[in-house]
Amino acid sequence: MVCRQQLEACGYEELAIKPLFTKGPSLGVRLLVFTVLAVALMVVDARFAVLKPLRTQLGLIVEPVYWLGRLPVTLWESATQGLSSRSELTAENERLKAEQLMMQRRLQKLAALTEQNVRLRELLNSSALVDDEVLATELIGIDPNPFTHRILIDKGAQDGVLLGQPVLDARGLMGQVVEVLPYSSRVLLLTDTTHSIPVQVNRNGLRAIASGTGNPERLELRHVADTADIKEGDLLVSSGLGQRFPAGYPVATVTEVIHDSGQPFAIVRAMPTASLNRSRYMLLVFTDPRSPEQRATESAQAQEALDREILQQAGTPPAAAPASEPAPDVEAEQ
Amino acid sequence: MMSARASNLWVVWLTLGFALLLSVSTMPRFMEMGRPLWLALFLTFWVLALPHRVGMTTAWCLGLLADVLNGSLLGQNALVLTLITFLVLTLHQRLRMFPMWQQSMVLLVVFGLAQLVQLWLHALTGNRQPTLEFVFPALVSALLWPWVCAILRGLQQRIGVN
Repeated sequence: MVCRQQLEACGYEELAIKPLFTKGPSLGVRLLVFTVLAVALMVVDARFAVLKPLRTQLGLIVEPVYWLGRLPVTLWESATQGLSSRSELTAENERLKAEQLMMQRRLQKLAALTEQNVRLRELLNSSALVDDEVLATELIGIDPNPFTHRILIDKGAQDGVLLGQPVLDARGLMGQVVEVLPYSSRVLLLTDTTHSIPVQVNRNGLRAIASGTGNPERLELRHVADTADIKEGDLLVSSGLGQRFPAGYPVATVTEVIHDSGQPFAIVRAMPTASLNRSRYMLLVFTDPRSPEQRATESAQAQEALDREILQQAGTPPAAAPASEPAPDVEAEQ
Repeated sequence: MMSARASNLWVVWLTLGFALLLSVSTMPRFMEMGRPLWLALFLTFWVLALPHRVGMTTAWCLGLLADVLNGSLLGQNALVLTLITFLVLTLHQRLRMFPMWQQSMVLLVVFGLAQLVQLWLHALTGNRQPTLEFVFPALVSALLWPWVCAILRGLQQRIGVN
């Protein structure tokens, strides 16, 4: 029956089909043209940054697709939130309060440590940024290709997201931004096979490079000497050497160290501390774009200017002395 | 008459947009391996139904949108979809006469070829894929073809797209 309908459809469309074969280039020629176009686009996209604006503009068209795709989830969540029972909410409230208390205890300690750190850095004349600025963001999509680990977040160029910006969750580093669309961006996770991050063993400062394996719960350290001091349970933190990730954020814990005499290097496996395939809320970190050298030069200049000011004030009558009081504050802010 | 005909082309674009939506919708991890090639399925139907309206240009533009959506290299999906459209267009006189199961068999081969090209492109861009799993989506798509075809034909006849 379907066949007959098709036949009828054929009959109807004969008038419309005929011009196709009389005008325009043949199928083969068109395939060739489009193939050449596609290949050229791919080469240009892979090698140069010329097409980035075009991608961003096209992103504006396709972004609603992600929003629509998430609509059922969003609706379901708002419904369950509206209907969740009182006891559940109270329990969650209790849990959050307890958590907040614990966090605050840690924060108290942290405040003292930060203070100390700032003071020590002042002594060294280097004013590295102790606290990074962050922006909270939410997961809105996962890459449909199961062989890559990429996610989509709901902040984009309009919110000031930059290419290569680090992303972290409550427990550690998650990855970096690889594509910025107007209202969303794509994040490459640490465990993608094409991703590597410079790390340091927190215990002794041993440097290594952690590469993704394609398994969301495993990173591998490359080229670690067999005699290197690294043990199961060691915390790996970002070393900041690649100048992409800020230093000192937890990355992974070592789960396995295998010394195989047949291999030139030890096999070290680690598990990311961030829950890469569970986190819904993430933080985008805005690090200082200046290089360490620039930062050092600028802080030295600021210090010199301050010294000169103090000297001038010391030269002038003591009436000006109270004016010098705000100076230490300025220094602390740097 | 012509304007009335042209005005119904929005159905084509609406369904293709829906295919884009399906191609990025979240699925359980174990089903990701066999995610049907929604775009290819929908596009194949429209190419078979309206070969004078939907052709390689449509496929190429759609592929470009899919590339932006998936974050792959610009032109990757465009190339694959153009190839599928080319194969379907060259076969379409025969394909339209085939019974449904035979259409599915032919499309299995077409989609399999497309997946092979996709695999090569992925290998070139550095995303390695396990060897034989790339056939799964083609298989699932071929099995889904009768249903997609029936639904879209119903839609086409009800609204009168031609």
